[in-house]
Amino acid sequence: MPTYTAPLDNFRFVLNDVLQVGDVFARLGLTEATPDLLDAVIEEAGKFCENEIQPLNLSGDTDGCTFENGVVRTPKGFKEAYDKFREGGWIGLTADPAYGGQGLPHTVSSVLDEMVSAANTSFGMYPGLSGGAYRAISQHGSQEQKDLYLPQLTDGIWSGTMCLTEPQCGTDLGLIRTKAVPDGDGTYKVTGTKIFISAGEHDLTENIIHLVLARLPEAPAGIRGISLFIVPKFLPRAENGATVAGPRNAIACGSIEHKMGIRASSTCVMNLDDATGWLIGEPNKGMRAMFTMMNAARLGVAIQGLGLAEVAYQNALAYAKDRIQGRALTGAQALDKAADPIIVHPDVRKNLLTVKSFVEGARALGLWVSLQLDIEEHATDPKEREAANDLLALMTPILKSYFTDAGFEATNTSMQVWGGHGYIHENGVEQFVRDARITQIYEGANGVQALDLVGRKLPANMGRSLRRFFHPVAHFLEENQTDAELGEFVSPLAKAFGKLQQATGFIAQKGLVNPNEAAAASSSYLRMFALVAIGFMWARMAKVAKARAAESGVRAAFYDSKVKTARFFMTKILPETEQHFRAIMAGAKPLMDFGVEEF
Amino acid sequence: MPGMPREIKKVAVIGSGVMGAAIAAHMTNAGLPVVLLDIVAKDANDRSAIAKGAVAKLLKTEPAPFMSPRNAKLVTPGNLEDDLNLLADCDWIVEAIIENVKIKHDLYARLETVRKAGSIVTSNTSTIPLKNLIEGRSEAFRRDFAITHFFNPPRYMRLLELVSGEETAAYVTETLARFCDVQLGKGVVRCHDTPGFIANRIGMMWMQAGLNTAEESGLTVEEADAVAGKVMGFPSTGLFGLFDLVGIDLMPHVSSSMASSLPETDPYRGQLRDSPIITKLIETGYTGRKGKGGFYRMTKNGAARLKEAVDLKTGEYHAVKQVSIASLDAALADRKTGLKTLLSGTDAGARFAWGMLAPTFAYAADLVGEIADTLVEVDEAMKFGYGWKFGPFELMDQIGTAWLAEQYRARGLAIPKLLGSAAGRNFYRVENGQLQFLGLDGGYHDVVRAEGVLLLADIKRRSQPLAKNGSASLWDIGDGVVCLEFQSKANSLDPDIMDMIGKALALIGVGKGDWKALVIGNDADNFSVGANLGLVMFAVNIAGYGQLEEMIGTGQQIYKALKYAPFPVVSAPAGRALGGGCEITLHSAAVQAHAETYLGLVEVGVGVIPGWGGCKELLARQLVNPKLPKGPIPAVAATFQTISTAQVSKSAAEAKDLMYLRETDGISMNRDRLLADAKGRALTLAQDYTPPKPTEFHLPGATGKTALNMAVHDFVTAGKATQYDVVVADALATVLTGGDIDYADTLSEDDISALERKAFIALLKNDGTIARIEQMLTTGKPLRN
Repeated sequence: MPTYTAPLDNFRFVLNDVLQVGDVFARLGLTEATPDLLDAVIEEAGKFCENEIQPLNLSGDTDGCTFENGVVRTPKGFKEAYDKFREGGWIGLTADPAYGGQGLPHTVSSVLDEMVSAANTSFGMYPGLSGGAYRAISQHGSQEQKDLYLPQLTDGIWSGTMCLTEPQCGTDLGLIRTKAVPDGDGTYKVTGTKIFISAGEHDLTENIIHLVLARLPEAPAGIRGISLFIVPKFLPRAENGATVAGPRNAIACGSIEHKMGIRASSTCVMNLDDATGWLIGEPNKGMRAMFTMMNAARLGVAIQGLGLAEVAYQNALAYAKDRIQGRALTGAQALDKAADPIIVHPDVRKNLLTVKSFVEGARALGLWVSLQLDIEEHATDPKEREAANDLLALMTPILKSYFTDAGFEATNTSMQVWGGHGYIHENGVEQFVRDARITQIYEGANGVQALDLVGRKLPANMGRSLRRFFHPVAHFLEENQTDAELGEFVSPLAKAFGKLQQATGFIAQKGLVNPNEAAAASSSYLRMFALVAIGFMWARMAKVAKARAAESGVRAAFYDSKVKTARFFMTKILPETEQHFRAIMAGAKPLMDFGVEEF
Repeated sequence: MPGMPREIKKVAVIGSGVMGAAIAAHMTNAGLPVVLLDIVAKDANDRSAIAKGAVAKLLKTEPAPFMSPRNAKLVTPGNLEDDLNLLADCDWIVEAIIENVKIKHDLYARLETVRKAGSIVTSNTSTIPLKNLIEGRSEAFRRDFAITHFFNPPRYMRLLELVSGEETAAYVTETLARFCDVQLGKGVVRCHDTPGFIANRIGMMWMQAGLNTAEESGLTVEEADAVAGKVMGFPSTGLFGLFDLVGIDLMPHVSSSMASSLPETDPYRGQLRDSPIITKLIETGYTGRKGKGGFYRMTKNGAARLKEAVDLKTGEYHAVKQVSIASLDAALADRKTGLKTLLSGTDAGARFAWGMLAPTFAYAADLVGEIADTLVEVDEAMKFGYGWKFGPFELMDQIGTAWLAEQYRARGLAIPKLLGSAAGRNFYRVENGQLQFLGLDGGYHDVVRAEGVLLLADIKRRSQPLAKNGSASLWDIGDGVVCLEFQSKANSLDPDIMDMIGKALALIGVGKGDWKALVIGNDADNFSVGANLGLVMFAVNIAGYGQLEEMIGTGQQIYKALKYAPFPVVSAPAGRALGGGCEITLHSAAVQAHAETYLGLVEVGVGVIPGWGGCKELLARQLVNPKLPKGPIPAVAATFQTISTAQVSKSAAEAKDLMYLRETDGISMNRDRLLADAKGRALTLAQDYTPPKPTEFHLPGATGKTALNMAVHDFVTAGKATQYDVVVADALATVLTGGDIDYADTLSEDDISALERKAFIALLKNDGTIARIEQMLTTGKPLRN
């Protein structure tokens, strides 16, 4: 059975030592979010994930969801765990206190998300989707809609979904056919079929609030003719001054999918047949509302990739220390045993360190980006809010794509450490691989993320978003260029950063003339960008760890390990940027030269 | 020699109203002395107070009628009773008095008594037929008389309608045509003696048809103006903005006067109707921009200014809204056949477009022959006089004559005669590289350019570029001269342009082979607005300071190579030549500038300093400026003053005062003659060309810088300079004073270039500069931080 231990020290290191979030929150006026309180929250969340949901992970995968007569049942124990999760107030962790939320920083919720994903990715889907619905309604809904739905979503007694995909349209939502016809009383009759709807139907909550993209009569064709509707499973009704689930609405689950992974998360076909819906936001502006959901959701998926990599690493590490096989090449190490633990072998170490350096570097990067959510929401200076928003917009596709690609690779590499035993279901590590695979696909396939990066984020405002990343890095490099102690980190970062600048300029220039050039470079560029960003975090972490190591005797080993991991990343992983750089500079021709029949 | 043009050396303008005075001012812009007479002022001590007052007013008018305030001295104001004798030695007398035939007759009778034999008399009338004006005059007068109809403001509007009568002597017409073209820089269009001549005849129809259909279509004012805008190539004022500009109160008067002079069956009369909204606007004092507003008005809401437009039905004002019309959006997205796409639509925007254009096109097509010899004059008149980017026939070609004819037919309208006879052919075609137009005879005829007119557009029709990339081309403009044309957006300078300069230098080599000289010029509205700021911003955003330094360094080397090329480089700027564009002219062996050239080193506006040798070259000029006291400090101070305040010349003449142009640099009044003049200049220089000697700089160093900075702080105290101005000025002062040097040090041009580079990159690292560039890119307006 796989295990999971919340990496609390690592969270503390990033939050307190590297990002110094306490100072940031104090500056933002989040006076209640003191380091002590946050620490307590994270510790508590860690316990919950370790004790309540991680034990359900393997069984949930084995049992899966079931569908019978239109009813979806989650695997054994999910309902109980969900109720505890809800009662613990975890669902409304960052929600507005006005609706019963705890109003804690988003940065903290990112930490929770990672732990939930590591412990049980499928379980995390249910509250995760509610979070998306909460954000869409709170940012685009009317006051009445907010008052009606937000308290229930915050509490978790109701859950939410995002109904976008239809059989004929996935990435291109302009092809949506679901119709919404005004009913004359302010409501709409919504009719159509939605597929791949996560948490579309289940037995965890009293009601399910579907956010449905549909087309109004005579709406313009394509993406500019899409509107967003709230379609509850049960129509809300007031009862004794409280909102409760009322009559059944005409939205029903037709079947559930049988999937490679996240099998405890229900993935539903939803049929709407004159279902009653309410317009949210303006007519034909549904995509705008949808995007606020999607950006947060994409960050959430990135964190899923990270969480799965973490748990896979923990189990691979344990196995590598425990499993004895052969002897170290330079001479036996564990003389008391019949063989040495496989961790003595360089290649096993390389596998472990590849995952470790990714997980720890990506965690720091992810939290730095999550912190922008709090700055964007609470900073008083509009320029600071704009900068935070820019960085978020820029980094979202990078995190979504790289964290899930590298996260999947990490689960796979970790499984490799297990040898043949990793391939056996009962050992639980092949599940990480299967669960991770979807993260590269949903919420915008990773190729589409790369297009978003080069097509939208890069050219927007003459590259203003880029400034929010490139300037801090340039500043860090300039500040530390003469520090001999840091040279081994600063100089490879500077080199890779220079290449990234060059590639950025190349893509911007070429892409202006021929968009295929930018698109052909996009996925290599995204990976290169992500590696430099993680390299930046490693250089920062190395600097902090070196300073801390000197002053803390007991924890010196922890900081020492950070410095060594940074060194591993700079020497063994960051050079991958060179390869990406060359591929980018080779241009679109090697791809576009082919006639379709020549493939 | 009856048809030979004669020289005009002195001019008189009678009538010092808005038009008369401004015409007089423009004569001085051509360097001519002008007599400006008006009636005797009543109850004034000075009997010439009216004309004198008009000159004083000219000096305060914006945009300035004088290209240099000095020109006012060329005007001799007087009155029609005491000073009539001043007309005796004038070669041309322009009458620009009230549009009253009786008063004009009286004046002409008096002119007969004083004017010298063979002098030319013209009227600036816009409404009275020539044949009526010459009634009762002597034969000599009738022979010497024509109509020269200027458009307001005469310095800036290119159109001059030239009408000669049956009796007008050929030399009169030719003299006027040549003088107005070459020396006044006008686009001279020969018209027949018919009401409203060409531009106002077609223009009034267009405005009236537009007003009528806008009211019917249900479009808002701002929607109508969006439709009657870019996609049709009309000026940014659109239709209603133009009403506001012209003056709404004038419209009923002008239109009824126009109608009354036209035959009963004229289509314009069919369009003419009372407009309740026009009546209401006039009644309530909303007469246009000169009043409290018109179809548009600006209201203040605290510090914010809000643009409002009137509702055509209710007369109530509303805030101008973002326009979104399906047919227009489709048209704007479709560069090639945008106008046809618009007209093919079915919404209100498409209906309005058709309702405005169809009668206008029909009118224009049916009037060729009656108001002008050919359709070319009609197109030219609308382009020069109404600021249309395309004439009506060019627009019809864009739409497609066959499709258009079919539209008239399908909508139950008569197909205009000329459109019918085109039978699907274009009104213009290019045959063997020669532009031709469709004549009334149904055949094509060459569009003939006047002698001394050289257009890149014509060269492009008949030849392939010598070299070309995304932003620039090289053209063979004949006689061994190469023309470097910029073609980037707003002719902003980018690496492709630098590449092409390099190619030109390599192609011409030492200038002793096939190629002798280089002219840098183009047909665009603006010579160059400077470096591509978007590229700079992008590089700054990715902290690409190394790339930026390389970009600046490359530019400096390329410009230096231009300056020291073994063959002459002549720049031919017109319109704006700013920043890096101005720096190109500063590095040229000679400049032939259009009179309307606005040169300036405006870099400080975006928080940087001239980096491509602008500081160096202007300083070098000021150091040998004979008008300044000796020693480096006055020259440094003068250069600092010009660059730190981002001074832009308001004309080529003023550019000489600012030292952006040298006294020896040439000025062409007519835009169409600029390239030929520049080419001529280049060929003259090429006969015996030696490159210039490098300048050695002796600069004051830190002490000089202290003095400059003190001056800046005084400006800050006086509220004339901002906090960030101080930072930019400090960087500029460092460059201009030579940086960290001793008084005795000698600096080379490369030393100054290095200082420019260093200061430029340092400034780009400041948030203040980034904010300035960002604001310029997003709003087009400088940030004063």
